[in-house]
Amino acid sequence: MKRVVLAALLGAALAAQAETPEQILASYEAQARTRAPGFAGFSATRGQQFFSARHGSEWSCASCHGAPPTGQGKHAKTGKAIAALAPAAGSERFTDPAKTEKWFKRNCNDVLSRACTAQEKGDVLAYLLRSAR
Amino acid sequence: MQRILVWDLPTRLFHWLLAASFAGAWLTAESERWRDVHVVLGYTFAGLIAFRLLWGLVGSRYARFSSFVKGPAAVAAYLRSLLGGSPEHHVGHNPAGGWAVVALLALGTATALSGFMTYNDLGGHFMEELHEAAAGAMLALVLVHIAAVVLSSLLHRENLVLAMITGHKRGLLPQAIRRPRWIAGTALAAAVVAFLSAAYQGALPDVVQASAHAERSAHHPHDDDD
Repeated sequence: MKRVVLAALLGAALAAQAETPEQILASYEAQARTRAPGFAGFSATRGQQFFSARHGSEWSCASCHGAPPTGQGKHAKTGKAIAALAPAAGSERFTDPAKTEKWFKRNCNDVLSRACTAQEKGDVLAYLLRSAR
Repeated sequence: MQRILVWDLPTRLFHWLLAASFAGAWLTAESERWRDVHVVLGYTFAGLIAFRLLWGLVGSRYARFSSFVKGPAAVAAYLRSLLGGSPEHHVGHNPAGGWAVVALLALGTATALSGFMTYNDLGGHFMEELHEAAAGAMLALVLVHIAAVVLSSLLHRENLVLAMITGHKRGLLPQAIRRPRWIAGTALAAAVVAFLSAAYQGALPDVVQASAHAERSAHHPHDDDD
């Protein structure tokens, strides 16, 4: 019993630690595998299309994060500068799973009026990881 | 006991304007579409809190901190009287409510400061989390406050919501404040109206309203994806 608690605590401590974008991508892959039976991997090309599509509404991801997302973005409403989204741009992007999830939730709601699936998040992250400076 | 003036006009205006700006900021928090409104409401909220801190020093009798920030013994006695079913009647804030005011002002200050820092890219993700935690704690306290107002209104058979609108409560004539402080109240209302209309017209400095800057200096490449 004690060992289980210890392992759980260790797991929680590790979960709070910084991760790499690749680790976050792997966790989306694990999610996509369990939720979508026909999952056939992530596609950066599909991610790119998803990122710049407006999905029947006013904004795309690129409206604020720019295309390509390796440079500084600009908030579509306030015009404020947004640090580059692609991890290759040297930012701390996609190193905190909780922050990643929180902002996917907020921004997917703004662009698609719904939450994104693990497949969509993985595709976008694959595209961002492919986007070199 | 008769109907006497207890809450001066600036205190009442502050109360309802703070409630409105907090509610508005809460409702515009989740979407980037409302980010500009959220920020303007945040500044309004911060300005109101700054006013209240000042008014707590120079306002009329029941608006002053010295009249409602009591020691732990007074708070304990009041809470005991609540449990006993015959609550002490206080003309101004009761001792527990007084501390709720202090806590609301402290959480409001933390919310506004952390929001300002987040919006200006200071303090990073931690500041963003602090902003949400402080606002969430403030909302929880607001709900406790509303429940306490309903409960006290029933226990004392006195409509406290109405009292915060008209300024009048039941009391003895010597307990009344003398003047409603029309001038300070009008000045507060005018300042809020002036700030909001300047924001609406996009006439605020860049630190408040980045969009004004963006529109002046921007090159908007016309892109179908945007």
